Amino acid sequence: MQFEVLAKCHTTRARVSRMRLAHGVTMLPTFMPVATQAAIKGLTPQQVEALGINLILNNTYHLNLRPGIQVLKEAGGAHKFQGWTHNLLTDSGGFQLVSLSKFTKITEEGALFASPFDGSPTMLTPEESISIQHTIGADIIMQLDDVVSSLTVGPRVEEAMWRTIRWLDRCIEFHQSSGKDDVQNLFAIVQGGLDAELRDKCLDEMIARKDKVAGYAIGGLSGGEEKDVFWRVIKQCADKLPEDRPRYSMGIGFAEDLLVCVALGVDMADCVFPTRTARFGVALTFKGPLNLRLGKHATDMRPIEEGCPCPTCTSGMTRALLNHTATLETAAAHAITQHNLVFQARVMGGAREAIINGTFPQYLKDFFANYFGDVGYPEWCVSALRSVGVDLLEGRPESKTVSGDGAKWEYSDAA
Amino acid sequence: MAASPLFTLSVSSGKFGPRTGTLSINRNDGTPAIRTPTPALLTTTSRGVIPHLSRDSVRITDAIQHIHLPFESFLDRNPPVLTLVGGSHPLHQFLGYETNKHVITLTLRDPSDRRKMPTNGNDFVSAQCTRGVRKVSPSAWKTYVQKCKPDLVVALSDTPFTPPPHSQKRLTKSIERSISWLADFLRAPADHSASRPANVLVHLVGGAEPHARAEFADRLTEPIEQNAATGLSPLNMLDDGVAGYVFDLLHLHTALAAEGGRAIEPTGPVDELLKVSDSQRSSADSSARLAELLQASLDPLSTQKPRFVNSPVSPHEILRLVRDVGIDLVDGFWAQRAADIGVAFDFRFPVPPEPGTVSTDCPPPRTRESGRIDLGHNLFDSRYRHDHSRLSSSFSDGHSAEQSGQDDLPVCPCGACSPRSPAFHLLHSSVDVQAWQDLQRPVPSSLLQPPFVRSYIHHLLHTHEMSSHSLLAMHNLTVLSAFLDGIRGVLARDSPKGELDKEIGRFEQMYDEKMVLWDEAATMWLTVEHARGKGRLAREREKQAVTTVGAAVET
Ligand SMILES: [Zn+2]
Ligand SMILES: [Zn+2]
Repeated sequence: MQFEVLAKCHTTRARVSRMRLAHGVTMLPTFMPVATQAAIKGLTPQQVEALGINLILNNTYHLNLRPGIQVLKEAGGAHKFQGWTHNLLTDSGGFQLVSLSKFTKITEEGALFASPFDGSPTMLTPEESISIQHTIGADIIMQLDDVVSSLTVGPRVEEAMWRTIRWLDRCIEFHQSSGKDDVQNLFAIVQGGLDAELRDKCLDEMIARKDKVAGYAIGGLSGGEEKDVFWRVIKQCADKLPEDRPRYSMGIGFAEDLLVCVALGVDMADCVFPTRTARFGVALTFKGPLNLRLGKHATDMRPIEEGCPCPTCTSGMTRALLNHTATLETAAAHAITQHNLVFQARVMGGAREAIINGTFPQYLKDFFANYFGDVGYPEWCVSALRSVGVDLLEGRPESKTVSGDGAKWEYSDAA
Repeated sequence: MAASPLFTLSVSSGKFGPRTGTLSINRNDGTPAIRTPTPALLTTTSRGVIPHLSRDSVRITDAIQHIHLPFESFLDRNPPVLTLVGGSHPLHQFLGYETNKHVITLTLRDPSDRRKMPTNGNDFVSAQCTRGVRKVSPSAWKTYVQKCKPDLVVALSDTPFTPPPHSQKRLTKSIERSISWLADFLRAPADHSASRPANVLVHLVGGAEPHARAEFADRLTEPIEQNAATGLSPLNMLDDGVAGYVFDLLHLHTALAAEGGRAIEPTGPVDELLKVSDSQRSSADSSARLAELLQASLDPLSTQKPRFVNSPVSPHEILRLVRDVGIDLVDGFWAQRAADIGVAFDFRFPVPPEPGTVSTDCPPPRTRESGRIDLGHNLFDSRYRHDHSRLSSSFSDGHSAEQSGQDDLPVCPCGACSPRSPAFHLLHSSVDVQAWQDLQRPVPSSLLQPPFVRSYIHHLLHTHEMSSHSLLAMHNLTVLSAFLDGIRGVLARDSPKGELDKEIGRFEQMYDEKMVLWDEAATMWLTVEHARGKGRLAREREKQAVTTVGAAVET
C-alpha cells in the first residue's frame, strides 16, 4: 500500500489522502458500500463503478459459507468471481460469527462455533481467518478480533482487548510468512470497549506494531452505545493513531456520523445502511431521508433530489414512480440503491473537496443546516464538532438541538 | 403529411403462412421513426417497469425495443398518476423509456395474469391493482389513453376471467360487449375535440370456440350500420379503424386445458408463489389447436395488419405459430419469468449446423431421456456450483470473442455475457481523477469485461441476491430476441416456408419441449424462497397480489 496525505483541514482533524492498493487508487475519506455476498444489492459491478465507487467490502463469514473457499479458489479470487476490478476489503468474519451464531464460544485458540452446514464444532482461528481472506484476495484484510458488544462491561472487555492484541500478532505472523503481504494489506482493529483507559492501552500496543500493519480500524462501536460516548472513543483513537496510516471506522453509515468521523480524523467507513434502507423505499438526500412509500410522494413529479448526478435522478425518475414501485419491484430498489450510494459518495466527495479548499468547517455547517435545520441538530454532533473547533450553532441563535441519537426519519407508514 | 403505414410485409405466403415485415412508428412530432423487423419481441412490464432492470440496464439491452404496458396497476390512485404527467410522450417520460428507441403498447390488463376476477359488466372491465379490483368503463379507458398518448393501444374487450369452460351465452355476451366497446373507442367526439385514437389493436375474442371467434371477426368486417355510424365516418367497418390484432394465449391455454378436463388453476399453499403460466406447457397438439383458433379469427380479416401474441410458453410454440398462423410480435413473458426462477437460456434458432461439436469449456444444457437437451440451465442446481463458464454454450461472450478473434459462435451481447466497464465515472471531488486516470494502471484496450459465469449466478440465486435476476433478465430477453432474429433469417432464404418447416423440425428434435428444466427450477426456487421465512413470504404474497412478473424486493 502507498498512503499519502494530500491535504489537511486547518481547523478539524480531517484530511484527504490517496491510498494505492493492488487494484488501483482510492481517494480518502471515503464510504465503502457493502457487498456482503459478493454483490452490491441488485447492481452489477459495472453499475457500481459508474457511480464513482472504487472500494467495496465483502464479508468473509458469508463468502466462506457460500460460495465457499474452493469455488473462490477455482474462480481466481473474489474479484474475478464477482467481476469487480477495483479495490476490495474483507472483514475477518469474527463479527458475524458472534452476531449471527448464538453458539459461538471464544477461546484463546480462536472462535469456536457450530458449523452452519452440519452443526459440528468448527474453529475460526486468527490464522484461518487470514488464510480465508488470502483466498478471497481482498486488497485490505482485517485481523480476527475478539468482539464484545459495546454494551458489555466488566473484565470481559479487558480480556477481549488483550486477546485481540495477541490475535493481531498471530495474524501478522501468518500474513507475513504467507508471502501475500506485498499485495494484501492487513489492518489492525483497536478494541477496548467504551473504557478510555483500555482503549489507550490497546492503542499503545497496536501502534507499537505499526511497521507490520497497513492501517487501523476502530472496532467495538456501533453496537447501541450512546452517541456521545461513541464520538469520544472515535476521537480518542483517531487522535492517537499514526498520521501515516489510514483509519477505518467500522459499521458507520449515517451521513452525520460519517461527517463527524471525518472531522475527527477518520478516513474510511462502511455500512449496509444505504443499500438496506433503499430496499424499504427510503432515499437519502441532503435535506434528510425521504420515505418514498408515503402517500405524499404519489404524484410528486420531482426527482429524489434536484441536481443529483446519479443514474436514477438524471434519468428523470420521479418520486411518484418510486412511490408506485418501491418495495414491490426490485427495479425500484436498484434505482434507490444507485441514488443512495451516490448520496454517500457525494457527502464524502464534498468533504474531500472542502478539505482541499480549506472550507471544511463551512461544509460541515452547511450540511448540518440543510440536513437538520428544520428538526434540530443532534446534540452529540454539536459537541463532537466543537471538540475539533467547529461550532455548528455559531451565528444560528434560533437553531434547536435535540438530545439522543438525533437520526432523522420519516417513520410514518400512512399512505 | 400522409401517415406512413404502421406495418408492411416483406415476405409472406397466403393468409396464415410465415411472414416477415416491418413495424414502423412514426409519431410525426420530431422524434425519430422507429422501425422494427418482425417477427419481433415485446418486453413485458410490471407496475410500468421491466422487472429486475434498472433504467441503465434497460438502456444497454438492445433486445428491449417494444414495451408492453398494462395500465391496471396505476388504478390504485384516482386519477391514475400516468394521466397526470402531461407533455407529448407522458409514458416514455414518466417510465424512463426513450422516444428514439422504445415503442410503448398500452393495454388495460396484464395478459399474463390469470387469477379469478369478478365478472365484467356491460359497461366496465374489472381490473386489478394493489388496492383491489377497479371497474374501468370504456369511456374512462378512452380518457386515460388520450392522456397517456401511447404509441399503440389495445381497445377494451370482454374476456371472461371466470374459470373455463364458458357457455355459449357468455361468449355471445363477450362478443357483443367487445364490439360495442371497440366502436365507442373508435368514435371521434361530435365536437371534434379529439381525434380518433390511432394504432388501435383489438383482442380477437371468442374463447376456445372457433365459431365464436369467427363470429367476432365477422362482426369486425360487417358494414357499420347507419344508425351506429355517428362519429365513425369514414370507417366502412370497425376493422378499418383497427391497426392490428392481439391474442392472449394464456386464456386460450386455460380454456383448452379445461376442455381436456385438466384444471390448471394453482392449488395448495405450497404453490402460492407460482403462477398459472408456470404449469403451462406446449406440444405439437396444443400448438395445432391454438393455430386452429387463431386462424378462425384471422380468416375474414386483413392480412396486412400485425398480429400480436401474448404469453407464449415455449420457443416451440412461437415457431409453430409463426409457421401456421403468421404471427408478428410475441411477448417475452416466458423469458422474463424464467429469469425469476433462475433459468438461463441456452438455445438458438436455427439450431447450430453441427450441434454435436460443443466447446468443452462451456457445457451445453442437460440431455433428457428423450435425447433432447434443455432450453437452458437451471442455475439453482448444485451442478453449477463449480461451473465457471459463461451462461450459454450456444453463444460466445464479447470478451472472449474479442480476445480470440474467432467468430464460430454468435456473441450474446447482453449485460451478463458481454459486460462493459463504464466509459465514464461520476466524480465526487476534484481529486477523484487521480483514482480513475491512474497512470500506473495499464489502460485497457477495450471496455469489454469477462462474462458473468454460472457459478456466480448460482451463488447469487442461493444467497437471494437480486442481481441474479437482473443478469438473467438481460440475458434471456437477448436470447429470445436472437431467436426471433433467427426466424427472420430463415424466412429470408429462398423458399422460406419449406426452410422454416425443416428448421423447426430440427429445433423440435434438439430441444426438450416438456420443460423438465422449468419444473426443476421452479421447485428449487420455491425451496429457497420458503427458506427465507415467513416475513419474506408475506411480502411475496403482497407482491403476488398486485403483479405477475418479477420477484419481490428482498430485505
Ligand atoms: Zn439521485
Ligand atoms: Zn447473454
